[in-house]
Amino acid sequence: MSHPQDLSLCEQATAIARGDLNARELLSATLSRIGERDATINSTPVVFENESRAMLDDAPRGALRGVPITVKDMFALPWRAARNGSERDLINATASGPFRRLRDAGAVVIGIANQHEMGMGTTGAISAYGPMGNPWNPATCAGGSSGGSASAVSARLVAGSLASDSAGSTRLPASYCGVVGLKLTYGSVPYDGYFGASTTFSAPGVIARDGADARLLASALLNRPLAPASGASLRVGVVRTPFWDDVDPEIEAAGESALRDAGWKVVELRIEHLELVGAAVLGRLIAEATAPSADVMATLSRPTRAMLLAGMLAPARYVPRADRVRAAVRAALAGAFGDVDVIAWPCTPTAAPPLSNPWVSLPSGQSPADGPNMRQTAIANLSGIPGISVPIGLHSSLLPMGLQLLAPWGQESMLLDAAEHLENTTQRTYVNLIPPLAR
Amino acid sequence: MGDFENWASATFRQAHIVVDDDDLAFVQLIYVSSMTRLSVLDRINLDDFPSRAIDLRRAPDLP
Repeated sequence: MSHPQDLSLCEQATAIARGDLNARELLSATLSRIGERDATINSTPVVFENESRAMLDDAPRGALRGVPITVKDMFALPWRAARNGSERDLINATASGPFRRLRDAGAVVIGIANQHEMGMGTTGAISAYGPMGNPWNPATCAGGSSGGSASAVSARLVAGSLASDSAGSTRLPASYCGVVGLKLTYGSVPYDGYFGASTTFSAPGVIARDGADARLLASALLNRPLAPASGASLRVGVVRTPFWDDVDPEIEAAGESALRDAGWKVVELRIEHLELVGAAVLGRLIAEATAPSADVMATLSRPTRAMLLAGMLAPARYVPRADRVRAAVRAALAGAFGDVDVIAWPCTPTAAPPLSNPWVSLPSGQSPADGPNMRQTAIANLSGIPGISVPIGLHSSLLPMGLQLLAPWGQESMLLDAAEHLENTTQRTYVNLIPPLAR
Repeated sequence: MGDFENWASATFRQAHIVVDDDDLAFVQLIYVSSMTRLSVLDRINLDDFPSRAIDLRRAPDLP
């Protein structure tokens, strides 16, 4: 074995349980690797040498016993406040609900996963800790807001990370970094000590290297087994416009190829009111984004501050209208899942843009990356359903591409079945790709 | 200062938030863009979107 962090999350857990891998040595090796590799990607700006060793000493014999993970800055820990990518403590130190689930499964929190400031961006270009680089090319975006989680897992610093997703924040960085990102169903995990609890859009998520690792981590978070089943005979719905049409043609082709490789029955789908999803998401999100106190506002970057301030000016009349659309979209999606098992379209519409200028070029024109990114993902947050991004190969820019799958309420297991089936039918080609930083 | 800057500054002052001209320019840009995107909600027919209670912690009922 070259390095224990080159093992998958499942392999680490199994090897520790069998006594084939010393958890203390794994922890030390992981801390060393973060020190060696993280300088250019800035995924894990804070590490917990003492606290992680104490967690390991007390770790119960759960499914994740002794496995090091990172935790997004949106979750409070018993020894550290949640800062949400800002300079200030925003939730006091406490054992947040998601932390308790992972602790009780035996996981060891080794560091903070960097994130886009206040969760208000899909690029990872802005953070009080500095921007997050992509292990495939550190001059490009790791994504956001859970960029540090995706970047660390992609670079083999850790095999799993606790992320969150308010409009795509787990799935989008997973797509940019070539890893698996699973957004859980809204409300399926205790929300205390979690900054996302302040919105009706946010859910914890997990980032891992493949479907099996994501299953192990998600099962611990949900505190229920996610038994694997065959994903071979799924009926997959596709909505062409705009989700397949207005994306980089290479990504469209890779997505189509993945669906063919999987051998799934593909059904053209029409879902009512999709054209209103963006406005409903915006109307609700800006109403829910609580502006922090003036002294915190003064420390934020100008773009984040401006977004929060603009939200303070938004007319309240849009909130009940957004809610009416939300109810209609939830019902329309529930109806669509009567005809198909999962819905599929590309996750990020382009590969990762440059950190220095995170704009994207699409058939519909050029724009900042956030709008098109959220257009692809935020419907899962508006409706509360789970979603996953799975790797589907490399773009000609040598950056990863991802396919998003959405499933009915509470059906995380079906998404993981689909992810593992796709891995098998592609001989694990895409999940086994290793970024230059990790070679 | 224009009308927008005066209105926005007064609103922020009420919240004890100090802003400068660069902040206001950025806020105006985002505000105008957001209002354009939100205006589609002004045009929906409310009869087509009845007000329904949403239990966000449960799956929606089938239509």
